[in-house]
Amino acid sequence: MSESPRPGMSSGVVYRDPHAALKWLEKAFGFEITMVVENEDGSIGHSEMRFGDGLIYVGREWDERHRSPANLDGVNTQSLHFNLTDGVDAHFERAVAAGAIVLREPADQFYGDRSYMVMDPEGHVWSFSQAIKAMTFDEMAKAGGRPVRDHL
Amino acid sequence: MPSPITPVVFYRDPKAALSWLEQVFGFETSMLVTDESGSVGHAEMSFGDGRIGAGGEWGSTELLGPALMKSPASLGGQGTQIIRVELASALDDHCARAEAAGAVITQRPQDQFYGSRVYRALDLEGHVWCFDQKIADLSLADMERASGLTIKTSL
Repeated sequence: MSESPRPGMSSGVVYRDPHAALKWLEKAFGFEITMVVENEDGSIGHSEMRFGDGLIYVGREWDERHRSPANLDGVNTQSLHFNLTDGVDAHFERAVAAGAIVLREPADQFYGDRSYMVMDPEGHVWSFSQAIKAMTFDEMAKAGGRPVRDHL
Repeated sequence: MPSPITPVVFYRDPKAALSWLEQVFGFETSMLVTDESGSVGHAEMSFGDGRIGAGGEWGSTELLGPALMKSPASLGGQGTQIIRVELASALDDHCARAEAAGAVITQRPQDQFYGSRVYRALDLEGHVWCFDQKIADLSLADMERASGLTIKTSL
């Protein structure tokens, strides 16, 4: 079996306990484990999880640049944002049942999405959103009261 | 292949970061939301069919509970995620261009046992970027043979 095509952009997410993280992400968010590379001592060296056409890597704190939020008092240097095609409220219920820490409950946003935001057990921040209304940048700017443009 | 997952990257100076990512890595700004003072509220950038979000440091108990968003520049270079970008071709040229434009290359282009050629770089605030180009179509068994590691498809 050869690998499925990889998306143009993906995230490597750092955990103190990647083994526990893989299990939790499967249960809470519905990721599928597609690859686990084990070190000689049985610990996880590298792993991949898929969510539809999306891909993340789950890894350990392998050098001083790579830290779990659990070791940084909850600080994140990146977060992950998901576009769901439907079922954002049901997805939220599943995540909360698995122990996700709620930062923002599902709510309609001015830019036409319904979204929620949670923390996983090590403190990584995840947001999930579903488009409920297609909007142009002009419409978003009007609804949000701030300029929105398509260039720097 | 477009992904339903977008990495969102936090910077002390997001405006400088957008400009840097355009010039050094070849990203394009596709959405920019500014506030009254003209500073960046939220931005999206594209690279091929890949997309990232970018913004400033933020967070407070009221807005984000126990979470806080910061740049590696505020954490002595530590980061909680890395970004991997898939290149269709010319990885070595991409690396040369990035280095000439000011990226710190932490790992030079190198073939990996899993069938990719990879280089790693730090951006202007210390986020780790991993650029990857597929050079061989390998099965997991091929990768195991090449690396001597155990590779599984479940826990």
